[in-house]
Amino acid sequence: MSNPLAAEVARRLATQVPALFGCDVADPVSAIEEMDFVHADTRQSVIGKLVRQLRIDTVVHMAVTVDSAGEDRAAHETNVIGTMNVLAGCAGPSSPVRRLVVKSSQAVYGAAPGDPSFVAEDAAGSDRPAYGLKRDLLEMEQLTQEFSLRTSGCRVSVLRLGYRVSEGTTLGRYLSLPIVPTFAGFDPRLQLLHEDDAAEAVVRGVIQGHEGVFNVAADGIVLLSQAIAIMGGKALPILPPYGRWLGRLALRAAGIDLPEHLADVLTFGSVADCSRLAAIFGWKPAYTTRAVMDSLARGKDVEVIEAPSPPQEYELQVYLQRRRRLARNGHPGAALTVQK
Amino acid sequence: MAERATSTDSKTLRRRSRKARVVSPPPAPRLRLPKEIRRLQRQAPMYALQGISDLSTRLRDMTGRDVIDVNRLMAVMQFVYQQRELARRGPDYAVDDFGFDAEWTESFLVLFKALYRDYWRVETTGIENVPATGRALLVSNHAGVLPWDGTMIKTAIFAEHPNPRHVRALVASLFMGMPVLSWFLRRTGQTVGHPDDTRRLLERDELVLVFPEGVKGTGKPFKDRYRLRRFGRGGFVSTAIRAGAPIIPVSVVGSEEIYPMVADATPAARLFGLPYFPITPTWPWLGPLGMIPLPSKWRIQFHPPVHTESHSPESANDQHLVMTISDEVRDTIQKGIYDNLKLRRGVFV
Repeated sequence: MSNPLAAEVARRLATQVPALFGCDVADPVSAIEEMDFVHADTRQSVIGKLVRQLRIDTVVHMAVTVDSAGEDRAAHETNVIGTMNVLAGCAGPSSPVRRLVVKSSQAVYGAAPGDPSFVAEDAAGSDRPAYGLKRDLLEMEQLTQEFSLRTSGCRVSVLRLGYRVSEGTTLGRYLSLPIVPTFAGFDPRLQLLHEDDAAEAVVRGVIQGHEGVFNVAADGIVLLSQAIAIMGGKALPILPPYGRWLGRLALRAAGIDLPEHLADVLTFGSVADCSRLAAIFGWKPAYTTRAVMDSLARGKDVEVIEAPSPPQEYELQVYLQRRRRLARNGHPGAALTVQK
Repeated sequence: MAERATSTDSKTLRRRSRKARVVSPPPAPRLRLPKEIRRLQRQAPMYALQGISDLSTRLRDMTGRDVIDVNRLMAVMQFVYQQRELARRGPDYAVDDFGFDAEWTESFLVLFKALYRDYWRVETTGIENVPATGRALLVSNHAGVLPWDGTMIKTAIFAEHPNPRHVRALVASLFMGMPVLSWFLRRTGQTVGHPDDTRRLLERDELVLVFPEGVKGTGKPFKDRYRLRRFGRGGFVSTAIRAGAPIIPVSVVGSEEIYPMVADATPAARLFGLPYFPITPTWPWLGPLGMIPLPSKWRIQFHPPVHTESHSPESANDQHLVMTISDEVRDTIQKGIYDNLKLRRGVFV
């Protein structure tokens, strides 16, 4: 919930579902009246108790960090161990969970020169040894798949969201630099995903409940040089084409910690085949990759997600919510506390 | 005073709010030269061209024949202007999903046509076997250290065909990992030699060019010239059958002599991560000059198509049928090479 994308998903779901519960380690970015919130950590197995006590039938697992450079161990802890706990909480005959949506990323494919121009869902992790984030995501998806095989009563969908370039993401900050150092001799094809479409895809996954793995990314591509020019920057091909860790070191000095999987994407490019999404969801992202770049360039992307509100405002909203409920039901609703 | 305080408050609040931030920076002021110099700059090429055409007429009057080819000069000027025009497009140009920039590629055809007509004097036969519309898979022999044969097949179809089409060649994944090369190949319409890519291109009704020999063909020594290497597992045949595309065998003669590769320096190849490191009479002894290909005489023959549409898509799994067709295509190409070698009077004439 402290993640803008998850908050946006919650906001959209709030009007469509009878009851909504959110949990996160940190405070949510904005309070939603229809949503009850608890502080809970996916790294501990509190999810099972939560799910059983509240009779939750749909779980949306979005606590998957993709865009954190440097902290490999923390990301592993969140992605693999966290997912394991969520799945363990949802498993078993006593579990009321009938639908599970797991957020994954296009980073699960990595990027390599030998990849086909459009990677389909089945191509993940087939040929090369994986490392870092890619290995974590593969492991996470494997756990999810095992869960879905074991638990026949639960429909599991895994959404591999494309690379997003809103203000906060590393890729977005990289492209917004006035002078963008690029890997010399490479001009990869980029495929992006708008925040709006990412939220919409998750919401549709929850409502429609299609089983399987889906690529979610915008139509069309832009070349990296085009993307930089759209942002009004200048591409400067100085980073070494071989020994890319040197280039990443130089970028770190410039304040951008480029994770290894993004360095691969910025060299070889990664484009996903989203035909399965279009066929089964009957929906495709509204923004093309070019439109995503244009909206980033206009600075309008910020409108989609509300700026984080200060903690006082959050507490105020919670207080007002309780007052409204008191006026409506005669009691403010049971307070839910979960030990951290 | 209180009003003042609130107004500054709201001002700072507005400054801190993230909604109003504009990402694109304002255009930087540019240094401009005086008007007269800029006008001269603009008109200098025109003056130069006038001077050269005057000189050309005077020389023709004196010697009685064309000493300076003005048309050729005009072509060069046009190329330079086109490149400047293309650079001015900014980010607003269209590339297809494979990264192919048709406009940019066509601007290079002037150069490739000059190589095609004047340098290698390519004679093309059987161009009528290439369909004007619809999908087809061109299969060719591969030779010469650098893939100039692919370039010339592309140029042949664009220059000679009544309905000029772009050919999309498939490239070994190895080259897609190399700087500059990967960028140039993608931009001019090539893609990775992956069955999935071939299928997609054929389903878009494109002309796809494939070299089943791969780097084994380009890296073979000079003494083995015009002997086809193995055609692998016939993957191109099964892809063509699945996509219902006819296979058009292509024989290229002349590409073997552009860089006579006398030896392969394997340690150097291993050092640079290349499939082979050629040693030719000029490379690497003359440095970059050694990369200039020799002006051999070329012939390209497009053979009648092998129709795979008659087979059902399921028969793509029939290894016997696939290998039979693959051998048939290979024999056609090999025979075409021998025929064209006989038709050629000499290596350089």
